[in-house]
Amino acid sequence: MQRRQFILSGIALAATASLGAGLSIWGWQQSQTADDSNRSVVLSALLPALLYGALPEDATLAVAELERTKTAIDDFLPFLPLRQQRELHQLFNLLANRITQLGLTGHLSSLSALTMQQRFALLDRWRDSYLGVLQQAYHGLRELLYGAYYGQPEHWQPISYIAPRFR
Amino acid sequence: MATQHIDASTLLSDQQFEADIVIIGSGAGGGIAAEQLTEAGFSVLLLEEGAYYTRADFVMEERWAYPQLYQEGAARKTRDKAIGILQGRTVGGSTTVNWTTSIRTPPATLDYWQREFGLNFSGDNDLTPYFAKAEQRLHIQPWSVAPNANNAKLQQGCEALGWQYSVINRNVNGCANLGYCGMGCPINAKQSMLVSTIPAAMALGATLISRLSVRKLNWQGNSISSLDAVPVDHYFQPRSDIRIQIKAKHYIVAAGAIGSPALLLRSKVPNPSGRLGKHTYLHPTVISGALFAEDINGHSGAPQSIYSDQFVWPENQDKAGYKLEVPPLHPVLMATKLTGTGEQHAALMAQFNQLQVCIALQRDGFHPQSQGGSVSLDEQGQPVLDYPITDYMWQGMREALLSMAQLQFAAGARQVLPIHHDAKLYNSWPEAKTAILQLPMQTLRQTVVSAHVMGGCNMSINPAKGVVDQNGRHHQLHNLSVFDGSILPTSLGANPQLTIFALVWRNCQQLLTQLKPFSANVS
Repeated sequence: MQRRQFILSGIALAATASLGAGLSIWGWQQSQTADDSNRSVVLSALLPALLYGALPEDATLAVAELERTKTAIDDFLPFLPLRQQRELHQLFNLLANRITQLGLTGHLSSLSALTMQQRFALLDRWRDSYLGVLQQAYHGLRELLYGAYYGQPEHWQPISYIAPRFR
Repeated sequence: MATQHIDASTLLSDQQFEADIVIIGSGAGGGIAAEQLTEAGFSVLLLEEGAYYTRADFVMEERWAYPQLYQEGAARKTRDKAIGILQGRTVGGSTTVNWTTSIRTPPATLDYWQREFGLNFSGDNDLTPYFAKAEQRLHIQPWSVAPNANNAKLQQGCEALGWQYSVINRNVNGCANLGYCGMGCPINAKQSMLVSTIPAAMALGATLISRLSVRKLNWQGNSISSLDAVPVDHYFQPRSDIRIQIKAKHYIVAAGAIGSPALLLRSKVPNPSGRLGKHTYLHPTVISGALFAEDINGHSGAPQSIYSDQFVWPENQDKAGYKLEVPPLHPVLMATKLTGTGEQHAALMAQFNQLQVCIALQRDGFHPQSQGGSVSLDEQGQPVLDYPITDYMWQGMREALLSMAQLQFAAGARQVLPIHHDAKLYNSWPEAKTAILQLPMQTLRQTVVSAHVMGGCNMSINPAKGVVDQNGRHHQLHNLSVFDGSILPTSLGANPQLTIFALVWRNCQQLLTQLKPFSANVS
C-alpha cells in the first residue's frame, strides 16, 4: 500500500463499516493538501475537550490560550516529515468534512456542534478502536496538541513549573 | 583565521567541494573522527543536516529545542507510531541534546559480539585505552554532586530492596546542575562534540558545512567517486533548487543509526549480506510515573545520575533484560507521555512537581525474538523505521513495569501510574502488581519510547553477517567507513555515547595506518 494512503484507506474502511460501501468516490484523493480553515475548525473542536480542566475558567483567557496553542501547532507542523504532514492534513480535512462525520464520530453533525461529552466519547472511541489507524490518529493528535499547549510559558502557572531565568 | 563554517542554506548557486576526507554527520561518531583525522593532517569536511547552534541559542525551552535540535521535531516515530524516538539533529548530533550519561560497553555485550559476529575486542583490539582517552578528552567522571530527587528516589528504592545501583559518569565540566541538558547546554558545561572535538577540528582547518542533507553516494566498482547533497530549508526539509557535489578520497558515514542506513539505501550500495538497514535496535523503553507527598521537581538538577543494572542481565536467558534509569521531567515531555485526556490529564499535570518517573530500557538484540527493526525509505527518500515488538519483548516490558512500581513504592511513593493507556493510579504495590499483570501489552496501548538508536550497518568479521568490518570499513566499498552507532551489532544494555566515542577513536587509528601513504602523496 502506498504510504500516503494509509490514513485514507483506514478511515475509508471505518466510514464504510458505518455507512456501507461507496464512500470512496467522495473526493478522498483531494484531501491530502493543507487546508488552514479545516485545521482550524478541527483544532477548535478538539482542543477544548483535550484541555478540559487545564484551560482557565475565564472565557477570555481560555480563548487566548486556545489561540496561542493553535498558533504553536501551525508553527510546529512544518518540522514534521512531509509524509506525516500529509497524514495530518488528511485527518484534518476528513474531520472537517461533514460527509465523513458519521464514520468517524458516529454523529452526522459538524465536530463543533458536538457536546463536550460527545467529544470525549469521540476521543475514547478512537483510542479504543479496533482500527490501528484511528488509534494512531488519537495518539498523534494528543501528542501534537498537548505538546503545543504545554510548550507555552503562559500555560505553566497551574502546574507550578517555574522555568529558570538563566540570562 | 578565515571562518571554517558554511551554512549551506545561504548558498545561492550549485557548488563543488573537495577534501581528503568527508564526514557525513557531526554526532558522537563524526565529531570524534573530525578531530582525530584533522589532527593527523588530513583536510576534512564535516557535513551536518542540522544547524550550527551554540550556547547563546540554547534558551532552555522545549518549544524551541525540539523543532530546532531534534530529528522530526522530537516527534520521530516508528512506522506504526508505536514507538517515539528522541534523536538529535544539530551540530554535535545527539551529544548536543543527550543527558550526559557515559558508560563503557558492558563486557557481556562484547562477549556476545565475539560469539555471534566474530568481533574480538581483547588483546591488541582492547577498547579500554580508547575508553580512557575519550573519558579524558570529554571530562567523563562520576557525578560527585548529590542526585536530584528524581534520581534519589531510584537510589532509595534500590537501597530498600537490596537492588544494585551505580552513580553515573557524566561528560561535564563546570556543570551548574541546571537540568536542561536535553535542550542544549546553555553554559557549555556538557562536553558534547559541539564544544570539544568539533571546534578543535575547525581550529586545525576542518570545514563544517551545516544545514546540508547528503542525498546520495555515487559509486562504481568498489569505490565511491563523489556525493550529492542539497541544502535544507528553514524546517530542515531537503531543498531541490541547489545541488552540492563533494569529492573526497575517503568517505565516512556518521549520520546515526537511522540516517546512515537511509543514505546507503538511497545510494543503492552493494549489500550482499542483506543486513543494510536491518537489525536496528532501540533500547525500547517503558515508563512508570509515581506521585510523592514531597516535591520532586524532576526538571531541576542533573537529569541522570543514578542507574540500576539489577535486571539488565537476568540469569534466565529467555527473559528480556532491562536497565533502570530516570528521565528529566519537563512540561512538554510529560504532557505528551502522561495518559488520558481532559480533567484526568489536567489533574496529573497539576501534580507535575510531585511526579517522579522511572524508565526501563530493554536490552534488545540478544535473543531470537529480539532481532530489531528495519529502515526503509518513503516517497521523499526519507527514512521510516519499522520495529515489531514480539511477545518476548512485551513480557520483558511487563516485568519492567512491575519492577519500577515495586521500586517506586519502596522509595515511598503514594501512588504509581504505569504509562499504559489502560492503567490508572495505584495506591499500593499489591494493587499495582495485580493490575499490571492484567494490562494488555499491545502497541498503542503500552507507551514505548526510545532515545538510543543502534544498528542497521552492523559490523561483523564475516561479510555475510555484516555491512562493515570490525574497523568500521565497508565490506564492499574500499573508501567508505561507517563510524557511528549504526555499526553496533546489538543494543548495548548501556547508554551508547561512550561506546561510540571509543569505537570510532579506535577505528580512526586503524584508518590512519591505512590512509597514511596517500596522505604523504597529497601533502
